[in-house]
Amino acid sequence: MPLLWLLLLILALSVAGFVLGRGRALASAGGDSRLLHSLPVYYGSNAFMKSVVPASGLLILWMLVQPLVLENRISGMIPQSEIAEGSSMGLVMSEVRRTAEGLDNAVAAGAMRAEDAFSPTADTAGITQALKDAGQVVTSEISPAMLRAAQAYRQMSASSGLLMSIAVLVVAAAGAAWGIRESGRDFRARNVVEQGILAILIAAASVAILTTIGIILSLIFNTVEFFRLYPAADFFTLLEWAPSFSGRGGASSLGILPLLWGTIYISIVALLVAVPIGLFSAIYLSEYASARVRGIAKPLLEILAGIPTIVYGLFALLTIGPMLVSVFGNEGLGWMGGGRSVMTAGIAMGIMLIPFVSSLSDDIINAVPQSLRDGSYGLGATRSETIRQVVLPAALPGIVGAILLAASRAIGETMIVVLGAGAAARLSLNPFEAMTTVTAKIVSQLTGDSDFASPEALVAFALGITLFVLTLGLNVFALYIVRKYREQYE
Amino acid sequence: MNDMRILERAVDTNEVKIAAKGVQVYYGDTHAIKDVNVDIQDRTVTAFIGPSGCGKSTFLRCINRMNDTIDIARVEGDIRIDGEDIYDKRVDPVQLRAKVGMVFQKPNPFPKSIYDNVSYGPRIHGLAKNKAELDDIVEQSLRSAALWDEVKDRLNAPGTGLSGGQQQRLCIARAVATEPEVLLMDEPCSALDPIATAQVEELIDELRQNYSVVIVTHSMQQAARVSQRTAFFHLGNLVEYGETGQIFTNPEDPRTESYITGRIG
Amino acid sequence: MTDATTPVTPRSKKSVSLTSPDARTQKRKAAEARFRMYGIAGIATGIFCLIVLLTSILASGTGAFQQTFISVQVYLDPAKLDKKGNRDPADIAKVSTFGYTPLIQQAVFDAVQQAGIETPLTRSKDMKALISASAAAQVRDVVIADPTLIGETIGFRILASSRVDGYLKDRVMREDVARDKNIDAEHLDLVDALVPLGIVEKTFNMDFITGADASESRAEAAGIGVAMMGSFFMMLVVLVLSLPIGVAASIYLEEFAPKNRWTDLIEVNIANLAAVPSIVFGILGLAVFIQFMHLPQSAPLVGGLVLTLMTLPTIIISTRASLKAVPPSIRDAALGVGASKMQAVFHHVLPLAAPGILTGTIIGLAQALGETAPLLLIGMVGFIASNAPDGIASGLLDPNSAMPAQIYEWAKRADPAFYERAWGGIIILLVFLISMNTLAVILRRRFERRW
Repeated sequence: MPLLWLLLLILALSVAGFVLGRGRALASAGGDSRLLHSLPVYYGSNAFMKSVVPASGLLILWMLVQPLVLENRISGMIPQSEIAEGSSMGLVMSEVRRTAEGLDNAVAAGAMRAEDAFSPTADTAGITQALKDAGQVVTSEISPAMLRAAQAYRQMSASSGLLMSIAVLVVAAAGAAWGIRESGRDFRARNVVEQGILAILIAAASVAILTTIGIILSLIFNTVEFFRLYPAADFFTLLEWAPSFSGRGGASSLGILPLLWGTIYISIVALLVAVPIGLFSAIYLSEYASARVRGIAKPLLEILAGIPTIVYGLFALLTIGPMLVSVFGNEGLGWMGGGRSVMTAGIAMGIMLIPFVSSLSDDIINAVPQSLRDGSYGLGATRSETIRQVVLPAALPGIVGAILLAASRAIGETMIVVLGAGAAARLSLNPFEAMTTVTAKIVSQLTGDSDFASPEALVAFALGITLFVLTLGLNVFALYIVRKYREQYE
Repeated sequence: MNDMRILERAVDTNEVKIAAKGVQVYYGDTHAIKDVNVDIQDRTVTAFIGPSGCGKSTFLRCINRMNDTIDIARVEGDIRIDGEDIYDKRVDPVQLRAKVGMVFQKPNPFPKSIYDNVSYGPRIHGLAKNKAELDDIVEQSLRSAALWDEVKDRLNAPGTGLSGGQQQRLCIARAVATEPEVLLMDEPCSALDPIATAQVEELIDELRQNYSVVIVTHSMQQAARVSQRTAFFHLGNLVEYGETGQIFTNPEDPRTESYITGRIG
Repeated sequence: MTDATTPVTPRSKKSVSLTSPDARTQKRKAAEARFRMYGIAGIATGIFCLIVLLTSILASGTGAFQQTFISVQVYLDPAKLDKKGNRDPADIAKVSTFGYTPLIQQAVFDAVQQAGIETPLTRSKDMKALISASAAAQVRDVVIADPTLIGETIGFRILASSRVDGYLKDRVMREDVARDKNIDAEHLDLVDALVPLGIVEKTFNMDFITGADASESRAEAAGIGVAMMGSFFMMLVVLVLSLPIGVAASIYLEEFAPKNRWTDLIEVNIANLAAVPSIVFGILGLAVFIQFMHLPQSAPLVGGLVLTLMTLPTIIISTRASLKAVPPSIRDAALGVGASKMQAVFHHVLPLAAPGILTGTIIGLAQALGETAPLLLIGMVGFIASNAPDGIASGLLDPNSAMPAQIYEWAKRADPAFYERAWGGIIILLVFLISMNTLAVILRRRFERRW
């Protein structure tokens, strides 16, 4: 049964529950809704809720579990010999799925007879050909074991689908019936419905937790898989990043250190651009500027924060890069080979971070109590003396926190480095050389043609977890500092 | 209140330190100070009293141009210190404030050590040639603020760690350290307990030997205890100004009398 | 107070005049002016960067909205297009674009001849460099739609090649063509001669805004329209999911959550999720939605799900701020007349907070609209999305690109003609972002209530 129909049926059952529940409650009060404990609509909602929620919960659960169970059963059918050199169970399984889908599509399109497609003795070569003719994507040759597995797969998924539809509809009907039965004049429908709504609210709030768990699990599982194929010690200590794309033959060197160096170097350049500009802007805006200047300059600077990073990436690649090359390139000082370099990406990222640093510092400087400034002015200090010797020292922890937050942004930034920094991993001190970063390599390892189960692709998850831990650590630390700072003046 | 003591108290000098003529202050559209004329004498404690919102603090802040730091404030009229117009274009408010120190309502020590708090003024004004001189200034200032004995063993402890009364005396030491000629005090005791208040009041009396002290206060008792001359402000007007004894025992203006007897305030 | 008894002697009393600053004061004033200058320099640099950024976007991107076209009369030769002469649509459809190319080249050549332009290019094949590779497909589509046209001479406005387009936009320089195997100086001479005649002209290019991406060799035909649809469907998913979930989560956290560890955990989580790099959400999407749940790759649905998870923290944070801004007295009033807490929140607090919630949601959507990195990982780049989706289901599930991903794709390509497209795409993207942010500001101004 198509999913859409199933959903509509559940909805229909629940609406019926609503109408009947409401009617029954009214009837129990002899049509006088004032005699009911709650408004009639709550009785209906109660039945509706009891029907929809368990049914759709079951549906979702079933759909999540079904592939796992099926996969487990089917993988038992595939002999180890089927898994070709360098391939994996996962790849073979996706092959099986594709074949099963192809069979179904071909039969539905009338290109194959159902008896042929699903007979256990079908001739594999003939089926492969028939599938290809029907325009289905299949491998060059379907082996008998594969065909069996595919047939079993579609058999099981079809029967499981039917079972699911029945189970879900039974649950929906039972829920509705339960809700209707409850509807009587003394039933506290409103309280029950509100409990239900509260549960939904809690579930929504838990999505944040689920997201974090999802991030952590997907990173950890794949990283463990990666470390099974590639020694962790090498990953953390090798000074070379050279994935072999040719396949299994040449061993890849996947050392994270050159990538970390590129990341840190670019972040440092970015902070060297953003911190002085952002900090002095914040100081000027909060201590010197008139309300009018502030009203114009602050939003202007904040436009920079609203511009998507892809724009900065393009700006780095097509504007900053050529500009730097014209000065430092072969026709100028000769320090720079191509437009992509640490400087290119660093400057673009720095510009992006200016408003970030300035608005955070602005908040923090404004939190320094006016009485401290008055005290300093009252002693005959100039504004700059007051700022440098009283305001900034007082705001220092907060500003450090803001800079750490900016650093975490810089480390996690992707588009600017993908477009502006280059693709070669290098351990070099020359800021005009192309280098690459952790984020840029996550993108290139996962968007290339490499096989998903290879260490060359899985390494992206190990890079991802490093990035996640690094930025999370910086953030937690920075937020802690900023909070401590705020408390000091509250 | 010891009335006898007030009557006996003599004014040491008649030398005019601060002369204000026709001072008007506006905060945006609000007319906060209306045509105030007052002569403040040297080596005297002058108290500004009046109900809250009467403009006494605003007027005090005109004397060292602290109102400059508020964007919407506008000051008109003529205030002279030692005959020099402090609102003259050539006057640097920074130099003025070195000459006219200020102590604020709430103790506001910098989040630095006690030593750094006191040495801050001398440092920025370059009053000490070397560390020894600076040490000397710090010690003298702390002594004159009657704080030396309490903090001499922990000069490097943060100033914010002191008790409220100690903090306020630290702020006074900090103000004294820049060698001002006038000391403005904006309700210096309002955040303090009675014992700390007594200490600070005693200190103010000591300071009178060297400075012209102007103190804004809420408390008439305090004005009577510490000042030689008193000015009564009401709704932005200077209602009455004269010797403290006379203001408190024989006010000329009915408004002053009402305030002193507690009918307005 | 033993020390107070020590007579306080005034130290070196030098009464300085206020009107004549001493050397030290002057030095300090200079330092003050310098410091102030640093501040002004900081702001000026920031604003200067903004101006450079915006001018380079406008200067490089406006070209994409204009395109060079060639107006020609094409003779649809029956001998080439319908060899059997039976006008059977099936036979006509078998003629590939290669069959049309010579006809178009001939048409351009004829136009040159008619105009009497002297040129060393004497064969109709030499016209190839002027014509876009997609011109043949354009003519073919017309013929297949109406086979009766065969044998007639029809006027077409065909796309000029990207080199010709670049020449008219000053992107392709005469000095460069010597090294360019796609076009020669003679062709440029010819273009110079054809422009005054109106045969070659540069006009507004609607196809850039509505059209689909084109292959690497046909920069002149690439448009952003289909990617825009992709973005639209993603935003639909983000709006439908993140608004209710975000509001529900905020209501719980702000109004109902007890102060306990679980609540604290959620709060810390949300604060930190807001700062997780967007690429990590891409990894999450790849691992959970594609690897684990087998949702289709490159589908706007998956993109929307990933962006939903990414925008949720933003929406929750702003929604909570709007809920917090509703004064407790409103809740008390509702509770006071016997409403349940749930009723107080849904009947009174939520409607009052609605403008703020809406503003926050729009800003969150704008953020999601410009986000690129996670889309790379779930496969929304690297292919040519050529067909606009024809319904909601296909819009959500068929592979598509998104505006920022399309821009990235163009930026990666070797031909500089695509750079102009990328900048043009950015202009369109920014127009959307600016409109959304303006809407948010207007909503805030109009409905914001100060308690």
